[in-house]
Amino acid sequence: MLNIYPIIAGVGIVISIISAMKKAPFFNYLGILMAMYGLLKCVEFVAPPLPGQVILMYMAMFVFTFLIYFSIKEDQFQAFLRPMKTVLADDDKKILRVLIVYIMIPVLAGYITYGKVKPQLAPPTSARIVHPEPPASITFRGEKISLLGAESPVRNDTANRDKHFEAGKRIYYQNCFYCHGDDLAGNGYIADAFNPRPLPFRGTDTIAQLPEGFVFYRIAKGWTTLPAGSTPWDSSMPAFDTFLTVEEVWQVTFFIYEATGNKPR
Amino acid sequence: MLNKNKLIITEGEITLKTLIVFAIMILVPFVSSAEMDRGKMLYDSWCAQCHGYEGDGKGYASGQYTLPQPRAFDSGTYKFRTTPSGERPTDEDIIRSTRKGNPGTTMPPWTRFTDDEVNEMVEYIKTFEEETFEYDAEPFQMGKAPAVSDALLTQGKEIFDKAKCWECHGKAGRGEGEKGWQDNFKNDWGTRAYPTDLTQAWEYRGGATVEDIFRTVTSGFDGTPMASFQSSYSDEERWSLSHFVTSLQTERKTGSALSVKKVDAVPASTDDAQWDAADYLDMPMSGQLMFEPRQFAPVITNVRMRSLYSDSEIGVMIEWTDKKPNKGDDGLPSDAVRLQFPVTVSDGPEKPYFFLGDKNHPVNLWFWKASDNTAVEQNAKGQKENDLVQQEKNDMLAAANYSDGHYRVLFRRPLDSGDENDITFTPGKFIPISVTAFDGAQNEQGLRATVSGWYYVMLEPPTPMKVFVMPPLVGLAFIGAGMGIRKKLKEGIG
Repeated sequence: MLNIYPIIAGVGIVISIISAMKKAPFFNYLGILMAMYGLLKCVEFVAPPLPGQVILMYMAMFVFTFLIYFSIKEDQFQAFLRPMKTVLADDDKKILRVLIVYIMIPVLAGYITYGKVKPQLAPPTSARIVHPEPPASITFRGEKISLLGAESPVRNDTANRDKHFEAGKRIYYQNCFYCHGDDLAGNGYIADAFNPRPLPFRGTDTIAQLPEGFVFYRIAKGWTTLPAGSTPWDSSMPAFDTFLTVEEVWQVTFFIYEATGNKPR
Repeated sequence: MLNKNKLIITEGEITLKTLIVFAIMILVPFVSSAEMDRGKMLYDSWCAQCHGYEGDGKGYASGQYTLPQPRAFDSGTYKFRTTPSGERPTDEDIIRSTRKGNPGTTMPPWTRFTDDEVNEMVEYIKTFEEETFEYDAEPFQMGKAPAVSDALLTQGKEIFDKAKCWECHGKAGRGEGEKGWQDNFKNDWGTRAYPTDLTQAWEYRGGATVEDIFRTVTSGFDGTPMASFQSSYSDEERWSLSHFVTSLQTERKTGSALSVKKVDAVPASTDDAQWDAADYLDMPMSGQLMFEPRQFAPVITNVRMRSLYSDSEIGVMIEWTDKKPNKGDDGLPSDAVRLQFPVTVSDGPEKPYFFLGDKNHPVNLWFWKASDNTAVEQNAKGQKENDLVQQEKNDMLAAANYSDGHYRVLFRRPLDSGDENDITFTPGKFIPISVTAFDGAQNEQGLRATVSGWYYVMLEPPTPMKVFVMPPLVGLAFIGAGMGIRKKLKEGIG
């Protein structure tokens, strides 16, 4: 997509230079403001884009600073005011006056007012706790499993590592990959159908931050035991204790760590 | 001495040459087998889960878990090619499928691997059936797409008719052609094939640009009923056909909420022009995967919602593609669609569970079935059979239409039905809504269904008076100020 902000900045700089040479401080001022706005918007090429509020703050600062700069010397300030005075007072500038003072500025002001008073209707949003505090223990098909410092029997069974990995892989691709993705990156082929989107396992900010027992708990209980702060009503994460055995849940947990090269915390 | 020395040098040269020859003989196969080993390792790690360790297309995620089935490489038959029908694909063809994936299938775009890695995977994939790849590929020339024009589209439509594209893809292009319905509409591996819905550009298997379509109609999809039209139509004719196909595509509009406009009266008929003009929201659908019986590979992948309201009534219209209608009289369940609302809308973010609610948060269901073409109202507070109850009082008016592979089901109800088990619609409020759709042909009923997450409908409230009054007032004030300053300046000068 074509980005117009570098052009705005460039045009602003050109206006500013030309008007500085022609000793027209008012247009210099407008050129500087235009260039500054363009440059602030261009930040998005090198860093995350600045929020609208921050840009507004910077622009207000520039408006006042440069106004002070141009009004310090009396003769310069008079030159600064001249274009405005000319347009307002000179009888031979009637067309320009009607255009700017009686049409453009009032329409712009009316438009900004419209933006402020028109009702802003946005769907409710809420912060969502992605990894809630787990309970001390869960009931898995009638079996009580303690989660405090839970260790994976599958990870500890190093002699059968390949067997567990392969079993976990089968379970993953028959139960999980629709949402969490072939490449475990959270973009399975039905991931678009749900909000919140399924979490990725690749990368260092999900399972790499979690103990294996917590992952076991989230797989085993899914949406059913989430607290309200984690919006269980939106969660499509099934409670896999209805589909899988305890060992199978440990195996698939082991698989998602191994396949992404992550280690449990 | 000299002679002896020379002799030794000569011997040394021979030894060196022999050594080099030996080294090459040993190293060459070693290097290429190292690459092959990496290709196999990557294939086994990231392809075999679907395509099988033996390349037979019978990996863990195959059968009931996917639709369409993963490609069986050991057959040597490839769908996505730039070569004539029956020919091997180019390496670039296999690379393209790997890199871009196949939309609407479980084959995702694989972007994480380097070009070398993908090349090595492709070399390994080719070993599953070596005969196919004994000869060099001879791709056809794609040329350049001509600019689109009305004449071109008319020609494209003629070819769509003449080439009998409609036999499978249907007259409306939704894949509803009668040939595509038949039980024997299968691919070479004996699994059911589904003609692509050409209105849903986001799931064309071979891509949806005019170039992609040209490639598809030229090469055909080998092993499937999608034929090649390379020999029957000229390049120019196939370009016009491709342009015509893109003209069938509709825009998919996704988002979190649908804004509902107010009208004098909610139209009672599904084919009223007001419905076509009303804005819509597309909901990507998933199989129901939280409760048994799970639906892993749904055929309904998108549902479109439109809505209008009046002083007294709300109308919600749901549209979706169903290639073959089922009315419940062919041994299969009836097609059906169900809207879901919370019984009470909380002020916070809290909602009932998005599929059939939960015991503390009941949902209000509007359920339409093709078998009797009526809608009923229900309440549910969970997923068990006795969590669902029929309401005795029914305020629902429904109208439905099925034509050219397209369902339109319209639900109408008073904004406030006066029933405490019903949702009440208040303008300006965001009301959660979700949709469940049932395709009889996929044996969907009860919990086996396709589902959406929660979305919102919001009845646009009347615009407050200040929106009309304030902007002109501010504009006038600025004009007045301008005049005032001018007067002062003139006085100053004077």
